[in-house]
Order: sequence, then structure tokens, then C-alpha cells
Amino acid sequence: MAAVDIPISGAHAADTHDDPDASYLKAGRGIGSWLTTLDHKRIGLMYLTMVCLAFFTGGIFALLIRLELFSRGRTIMDAETYNRFFTLHGAIMVFLFIIPSVPAALGNFFLPIMIGAKDVAFPRLNLFSYYIYLLGAAVALLSIIMGSVDTGWTFYTPYSVQTQNSVISMTLGAFILGFSSILTGLNFLVTVHTMRAPGCTWSRMPLFVWGMYATALIQVLATPVLAITLLLLCAERFFGIGIFDPKLGGDPVLFQHFFWFYSHPAVYIMIVPGMAITSELIATFSRRAIFGQFAIAMSSISLAVLGFLVWGHHLFAAGMSEYATMLFSALTFLVAIPSGVKVFNWTATIYKGSILWASPMLYAMAFIFLFTIGGLTGLFLGTLNVDIHLTDTYFVVAHFHYVMMGGTVIAFVGGLLYWWPKMTGKMHDEVKAKIGFVFVFVGFNTVFIPQFIMGSRGMPRRYYDYLPQYEIFHRISTVGSWILGTGLLITGYTLLEALWRGKRAPRNPWGSAGYEWMTDTPPCLANFHKTPVFTRGPYDYHLATPEELATGWDEVEQDGKKG
Amino acid sequence: MANVSEPVNPGKGHAEHGGDAHAHPSFLAHHFDTPAQQFNAAKLGMWVFIATEILMFGGLFCAYAIWRAVDPAIFDQAHHFLNKKMGASNTIVLLFSSLTAALAVRSAQVGKRKLTSIYLVITILCACAFLVIKYFEYSHKIHLGLLPGHCFGHPGFSGAIQNGEEVGTCLRVHADQAAGTPEWVRAIDEDGHVQLLPPRSNMYFGLYFMMTGLHGLHVLIGMSILGWVLVRNMKGQFSKEYFTAVDLGALYWHLVDLVWIYLFPLLYLVGKPE
Amino acid sequence: MNEPNAATFQLPEQMSTVAPEIDWLYYFIYWLSVVLFVAIVGAMIYFAIKYRERKGHKAEPTGHNLPLEIAWTVAPVFILVFLFHKGFEGYMNLSIAPANSMEIRVNAKQWSWEFVYPNGASSDKLHVPVHKPIKLVMASADVIHSFYAPALRVKRDVVPGMYTTVWFEATHVGKDDIACAEYCGGRSEGPNGTLPYQPSDDPDNPYPPGQMTGHWAMHSMVYVEAQEDFDKFMKSIGDPCESYASQGKACPGTIAAAQGLKLYSTKGCVACHTTTGAKLVGPSWKGIWAHGETTDKGRIVVDENYVRESILDPQAKVVAGYPPTMPTFRGQISDAEIDEIIALIKSLKDEGPAPAQQ
Repeated sequence: MAAVDIPISGAHAADTHDDPDASYLKAGRGIGSWLTTLDHKRIGLMYLTMVCLAFFTGGIFALLIRLELFSRGRTIMDAETYNRFFTLHGAIMVFLFIIPSVPAALGNFFLPIMIGAKDVAFPRLNLFSYYIYLLGAAVALLSIIMGSVDTGWTFYTPYSVQTQNSVISMTLGAFILGFSSILTGLNFLVTVHTMRAPGCTWSRMPLFVWGMYATALIQVLATPVLAITLLLLCAERFFGIGIFDPKLGGDPVLFQHFFWFYSHPAVYIMIVPGMAITSELIATFSRRAIFGQFAIAMSSISLAVLGFLVWGHHLFAAGMSEYATMLFSALTFLVAIPSGVKVFNWTATIYKGSILWASPMLYAMAFIFLFTIGGLTGLFLGTLNVDIHLTDTYFVVAHFHYVMMGGTVIAFVGGLLYWWPKMTGKMHDEVKAKIGFVFVFVGFNTVFIPQFIMGSRGMPRRYYDYLPQYEIFHRISTVGSWILGTGLLITGYTLLEALWRGKRAPRNPWGSAGYEWMTDTPPCLANFHKTPVFTRGPYDYHLATPEELATGWDEVEQDGKKG
Repeated sequence: MANVSEPVNPGKGHAEHGGDAHAHPSFLAHHFDTPAQQFNAAKLGMWVFIATEILMFGGLFCAYAIWRAVDPAIFDQAHHFLNKKMGASNTIVLLFSSLTAALAVRSAQVGKRKLTSIYLVITILCACAFLVIKYFEYSHKIHLGLLPGHCFGHPGFSGAIQNGEEVGTCLRVHADQAAGTPEWVRAIDEDGHVQLLPPRSNMYFGLYFMMTGLHGLHVLIGMSILGWVLVRNMKGQFSKEYFTAVDLGALYWHLVDLVWIYLFPLLYLVGKPE
Repeated sequence: MNEPNAATFQLPEQMSTVAPEIDWLYYFIYWLSVVLFVAIVGAMIYFAIKYRERKGHKAEPTGHNLPLEIAWTVAPVFILVFLFHKGFEGYMNLSIAPANSMEIRVNAKQWSWEFVYPNGASSDKLHVPVHKPIKLVMASADVIHSFYAPALRVKRDVVPGMYTTVWFEATHVGKDDIACAEYCGGRSEGPNGTLPYQPSDDPDNPYPPGQMTGHWAMHSMVYVEAQEDFDKFMKSIGDPCESYASQGKACPGTIAAAQGLKLYSTKGCVACHTTTGAKLVGPSWKGIWAHGETTDKGRIVVDENYVRESILDPQAKVVAGYPPTMPTFRGQISDAEIDEIIALIKSLKDEGPAPAQQ
């Protein structure tokens, strides 16, 4: 008897779209059925489309920035344009791409399935959050037409109060996007608390869900503070209330405190989901339960909590008191521990596993490689006197790209490759995916390692131009950006190509014991044909039956169906 | 057969299920297993949302605390320009409206539909009264020029002086267009005394308008929520078994009231008596 | 790394007394990171190859090893505590300027630096004598900037509306770049919409004035010189206090204190404060500079920020034993005049008479 106690459905579900057992993709036709859907899976896919578009747009800005920095002096654009481009790159990547990326796209799709639920707790709120995202994105992008923003994505005052550009529309856009994030988090919190299937105890909950839960905690508690900070900034610009402008008696450093009180927890909104995906990938591709599963779950929660206490480390050079810098430095080192625990546990999971070197696993291993570098370089920045030399230089730029891009984006792509068959019912070409991976990995390191060196040698950030001694580093970095861009394009193409040319995917192509692989590929509308009862953990390979772990490739080949 | 393109829509009723075997109440959404689960989820969701609202207002209270600590002189004097009578009336109005909201929940709980409607109507009327009183307060301040930022000292948002000339509105989009540092303002307070307000009082009124303005916006939102609940109640969608929306709408309204309970003493009452 | 202060691949040359300890800690973290990285990634790759999926090989079910988990949770704590301790120690060294530091005022504005020396003269370049502690007292006229000198290993934001300070003692003659490290806007067209510039190849003046202006072009130099050369420099920039006065700007140094004494009368401070030590409604200014005082909000040190705050927000921190009746002068006193009052108070040290009335 199957330990998960669900009737394992065949490799492909019935095709008629009136059949409730039909794949969710076939339930309802036409664009109207998508725009009014309440199905978390379709909403997840709509979010996925938008965040990928946002990533592409932000990426174009990045390539243009790097192109400008290829040579000293003017290369392709003037300085005002450059200032706007790096601001837009940051704002689009942070607010339109990375914060929604894993939770709203993959989280929406998989969280309910992984706890055996039919949907999230509030499906209409879910759809509403998607439309809020679209509205927020539109308002933020409106700022481009209205003269754009050149303050950096951090909007520091007094420059952001005084600059002649369209700060208000960009900040209002971010304000609206914040509500989308809050509502997604709210939905996830309630879903996890109230809709777990029988047998899905907290300790049996997949680590991806633990990660989404911890992220949701941060989204719900931190984002409102950003909302009020941005409102105050708008009021400052419009009315001149004077809270941040010293000419009117305000305190510019207060803005930094308010801003980073949200934005530091925000980086944990970005990385915890990436870590959550990595846990899933490492377990599946080692065919072994995650070592120290409880510790990994608790470390996600610790990151959520401790992440609220360290915002001041962005202000070490800003004019805070020595007492405050001491507290924040100590707490910053404390928050390093949970991240380290995860890395050690993943490595111990690979030990004595049976490792499948598929493309998602390549990305998972790349995550460990790149996140370790990102995390270790954080030690430099948490050490007060060393930070004084490194803050506001390219060292910081390289550090956060290693954790955000080498961390979250790498995990996100790995997750897409892993779950693409489940979501779309199609297998992508593994060869192309691996070629894309090589370009991405080599390109990424080529872009950012020179930036560490430039930074420690004294190159400040947000510079349109630079002194001659940094030129060689900038050139290497720019060439790296072309390699990285090529890799991402290859990978994007691989995923899209699968949609029209890919082999039909079997139920469980990777042979995983995870709960999401126990149902149809793609899932039916209600995710499972009847309410599942979980009698084992999601990584219990020694308890799963051979039928549960069967990939189903044999059946696909027998059917002789392709495409 | 169920219409699979709209799997979960509790408002639609049961008719489309036709001959479907599973018997569940019409108010139970398809993705929930039991009414209890649905209610618990809804309640938890509202509490989480309330937590986000508290954090958002919390930022403003934090700003208030910081500026009060830095500049107590302003806070000592400026509160004289707030009408304590109107503020107290608003407090009583909101407290009473919270009572009627709670009574609405109670009468929904015992299935008294008409009484629920009456209580909801009274609550909404109280909210209207609050906003009317607020309108009078705000217009008085605008008349006196007790306005935030550059507009401090310029009654009716007008009459800004730049380069010795009077130019239109004092609203500025960019701080560098400001006509110099704000001046001391001589004004008559609510007790009829002439007071001289130091130039940085614009900070106080900035906080006043942001905090009460954001709160007023939430009064409007609360009214809309209660209005929608009222409409649903009049349509007969609630019963003894299902009155979640009334419960949660009233819960939100209690939050709106609670924020005012904090705002009123901090803005109106705290300060040096004179 | 033959000499202790030569540039390495990752770090610039060491030009100040704090650089060696910063660099030591930097390289400690660097090698620690290398070891940890090689260990973790090496193990990961080794395991992934050794335990790769192949015929006959099965994964072993995951066990538990609580002692191991505790060990690798607790062990890093010791290293991190060490880093925190050393870092904080070093930071305190960076923050507390020696008492005998020579003070140089730094005025930052979009997009240039101005250095004002004790004799009142100013320059767009920073010259300092070697082996002497220098304290920079910095203010911004508009937005946040940041003073960064990589070889000296100092960086501090320059914030409008307050004074920030940074200090260093240079260890050998030479020069270092000064860069602005907090984004402050900028544009690249020359005046009258002329074509965007090309930077010059002069390392001391990569951004000639009149062309590109902006955050990246807020470049200056620190010249560390032998005492005689520094003295020559000071003579060369002259004593332009007169030109300061005609521009309505404060002239720091003893002449500023004399200006401050005038303001002491004309602004009305004389009504409540003396310069002789006698107490009136308000505390006397004699001997209070750089001393600790107990206020109604706790202990403070009488520095530039406290004097400025007392003038603009007098109720913020009132010295214990005095009534909170000082009116604010916001809107009635300019920044330059505040600087002159500060200069006056500084000059009223324990010994020595107040400067003569002029």
C-alpha cells in the first residue's frame, strides 16, 4: 500500500476539459479563463510570466550599465541616463522581480500541493494580489515615461526629496507592489496553519513550505514599514513635511533607518525561498532525506526573526552612535549562523547519497558554491573597521549580487528546471539546460569576482566613470555580463522550447519522494483526486514504495507519445 | 457537473452542482473541507492583516516618538491648536460605533437579520459623523494656515511668498523651490489665546495630518467594508451558522477605533497645560 | 608584501596608523573564508562525484548526528565573536580622535570638496603633515556625501544638518585619492550643453572643473607631506579671511572666534550666558568645550553637534540645574554664524582670556 495513501494516477490525465480529473491547464479555455482564474496554479504561472519579463527588463538595464562601464569616459550614454539606468535596474530587480519571484510564482503553485490542499486559503485574494502587482508595476514603470528616477533604488534623502525626477510615481509603484507581497504572505501563513492535509504535521511539512512560511512572516511584518516610509517620502516631496530634510529641521539618517528596517528583512524574503528550493533539489537529487531537517526548518524561522534586528549594518558609516554600531555588528554575526547551518546540512545530505547530475542539481550545487562566497564576504562587511573601508564600494555590489543572484536567481532557475515538467507536463532538453548552466556559472563569476577586487582596492559604487587603475576590472566584468546573458538566454529558450517541442513528461521524472510528485503531471484542478493522507515524510526514500518513486518514463516511452 | 473553470466561489450558491452527491453548506468554499476550517482560516487571515496595519501605523507612531523626544517644545505648544472637544466627540462616536459593531456581530450570531442591519447602519452613521467632525477640524486648520511643510502659515494653501511676490499655492513638488525657512506664525488657538508658534511647528502639523489622514482613510475603508457586509446581510447571505463577514468586518472596525484611541491622547491631550 | 605598507593585490598601500590592523583583520577573514570555502565546496564536489548515481550504488538513508550538528552550530560562534571583538576594537580606534589632533574643516557640496585649514585658508585639495593626527570635521551644504580615502582606510558620510568627524594619522609621505562614496547625483554635459567630456589622464586632476560634474567626479587628493612642505603649503594659500567675510562665510580659527564674540552680543546670548565662568540664567561658556555635562537627558559631551542643537533646539538637552527657558534661534542665525559661535566657545578654554573685542 502506498505510504502516502493517494491513488497514484497514470502518467497523463484525461484530456476532456469537462473532466475534473483533467490537467489544470485544460480546465477552461481562452484568455478570459486565465484572467479570472481562482486556481493557484494558474495564478502562479501568470506571476511567473510577469517576473520573468521583469527579470529580462532589469537584465537589459544591467547589460547596458556594464556596457557603459567598459571604458572610461562616455561609452554609450550620458551620466543622467546612467544614473537612471542603475536606479531602474535596482528597483525593477528588487521590487518587480526578486521579491515576488519564488513566493508568488513557485510558492503559489506548489505550497498547496505540498501540504495536500486544494488551493490557498483565499483564492480570490490571490488573484487580487496579482492584479495589484500589475498595477504597481505599471505605476512604477510610468515613472520612466515621466522623467525617470535617478536616486538609486534606496531613495536616500535629501537627494530623493530634491531631485527633479519622478520619484513619487516610482515610490507609489513600490508602495502598491508592497501590498501584493503582503497579501501573498498573508495567504501563505493562513494556508499553512489551517489547510494541511491529514498526516501533514509540522515535522512532515516539506522544507520548501517551511521556507515559504518563514518568508511569509517577513513579508507580512516588514512590508508595512516600507509602505509608511515611502508614503512619508512622498509627503516630504509633495508637502515638504520636513521629517527627512535638514533644511526643514528633519533628519536624513532617520530615512535610512526607516528604509532599512524593511529592506534588510526584505533580503531574507529574497534568500529564504532560494534556500527552500535548494533543500528540495538536494534531497531529490541525492535520493536521501535532508540531513538535519529540523535544523533547516528552524534556521528559516531564525533568519526571519533575526533578520529584523540587523538593519543598522547598512548605516555603519552613516553617522550612528558607536553603541548602535556595536549592537548591530554583534547581531549581524549572529544571523550568519543559521545560514551556515543550512550549507553544512546540505553538504552532509550529499554525503552517501546517490547523486543525479541533472541540470537542477547543477544549479543546486552552484547555489551552495555561490551563496557560500556571498555569505563569507558578508563577514567582511559585518566587521566594523573592515566595513568602513569596504562599504559603498564595489565589494558590497559583488557581495549582494552573489547572494541575490548567485543565491536566489540560481535557485529560482534550478527550481524552474526541476518543476517545469510538473507545471507544464513537458520535459525540457537537458543538454541545452546544462550548456546554459555552464555559461551562467562561468559568466556570473566573471562579472562579479573582479568587482570584489575593485571594491577592496577603493572603487566606490554608483560611479558613471572611474580612475584608470580600475579599467581592466570593469572590462573583465563587462565581458562576463555577455557570457552570463547568453547563458540565461539559452536557459530561457530551453524552457520555452519545451512547451512546444518537449517530450511529454512522466509523473515523476526525477524519481523524487516529494509529495508534489505523487500526483498527476500536470496536476488536476483540485491537485489530488481525493484528499491525501500523509503517512511518511517528503524525503523518506526508505519508506516510499517503488510505485511512488517510479519515474514513469517506461510508460511514456511505451505510449510512444511525443510532444 | 461542477463548472471546472470556477472551482471555488462560495457566493455562487449550490445550484450548479446539480446532482452532485457531496452535501455541504452553500457558504462553504470548495477548497475548504469544513465550515470550521473556513472560519478559522478567515479569522486568522483578518488578524494577520490587522498585524500589518498596526505595523504601518507603528512607523508613524515611531516618527511621532522620535520628534517628540527631539523637539518637545513644539509638542508642548502645538496641541493647543487641536480642538479637544471635537477630538473627544470623535472618540465617543468611535467607541459607540465599536459597541454597535459588536452588537451587530452578536445579533448575526443569533440569526436576527433585521437587528444586524440596524446595528450596521448605526455603525456606518457613526463613521460618517466622525468624518464630518473631522471635516470641520481640518477646514479650520486650513483656514488658519496650520498646515504641514511649506504651507505652514499660508491659510487655504495659498499666498506663498517667493522673491517678495505672492505666488499661487504653497504646495511644492521640490523642496528647493521653497521660499526660505518657515517663519514664526501668530495664530489664535482653540481657547482664544494668541499664540506664537515656532517655525518648526510645521513638523508637528505634518505628523498630525499624516496620522489623522491615514486614520481617516481607514475609517473610509472600514465604512466600505461594513457597507458591503450590510448589503450581503440584507440579501440574506448570513445565518447562525455563517456570519464570518460580519465578524471580520467588525474586527477591522475595532482596529480602526483602536488606532484612534492611541491617536487622540498622543495628539490632543499630551502637552503642557496653560 | 615586502614592506609593511605596500599595496597588495586586494588592498591599497597602507598610509595610516589604523591601516595595518584593518588589513590584518581583512586578510584573516579572507584566509578563513578560503579555508571554509575550499572545505565546503570541495566536500560537496567530492561527495557528488564519489556518490554519483550508478549501477549497484544505492543511497544510504539519512541518519542523525546531533553532536555534529551542535558542533557546527557552536564552533562558528567563537570565530564570529572574535571577529566582532576585533572589528569593534578597531572601530573605536577609528572613531576617537586623539586630543591633540589638528582640525581641518571639510565642506562637501554637489560636486566638490573644500578643505578649510586652521588659519582660515581653504583649498580644494587636502594637505596634511605626516605623523600628525588630523581630525576632519565635515558638513554638507546639500545632500549626503561621503569622504573616502582608500589608502588611509577612512570613510565617513557627510550629512547635511549635522557635523560628522573622521580622523587619521598618516605614516609616510605620499598621496591618496579622495572619493565621494555616497551617491549624490550628477550629469555629464558640460556647461551650455557642450558635448560630454572625456576624463583627463592627470591622476591628480582626472575631472577638470567646468566639464563633468557628479558623484563620481567629486575627486580630490590627500597630500601627506613633511612638516616643512606642509608649512610652505599653508603659507602659499594665504590668509583669506577677508575674502571669506565678504562672501558672508565664517572664517574658522581664532579670527572666527572674534566674529563669534560679536555675535555673542548682537544675537543676545550675553543676556543669559557669560564667557567668564559666572552663572546666569544659562551656563557659562568658559571651559565647557569638549567637557562632559549632565543634562536632563543624560551625559553628553559639548561638541559641535551639541552647540548647534542647543542653538536650534534648546529644549532637546538642557544642562542639569538650569531652567529650560532658552528660546530657539532657528530662522534667525545662519550656518556660518553658528560656526563662529562654536569657534568662540572653543577658544574659551580653561586658561587664557577671551579674545579681545574688536
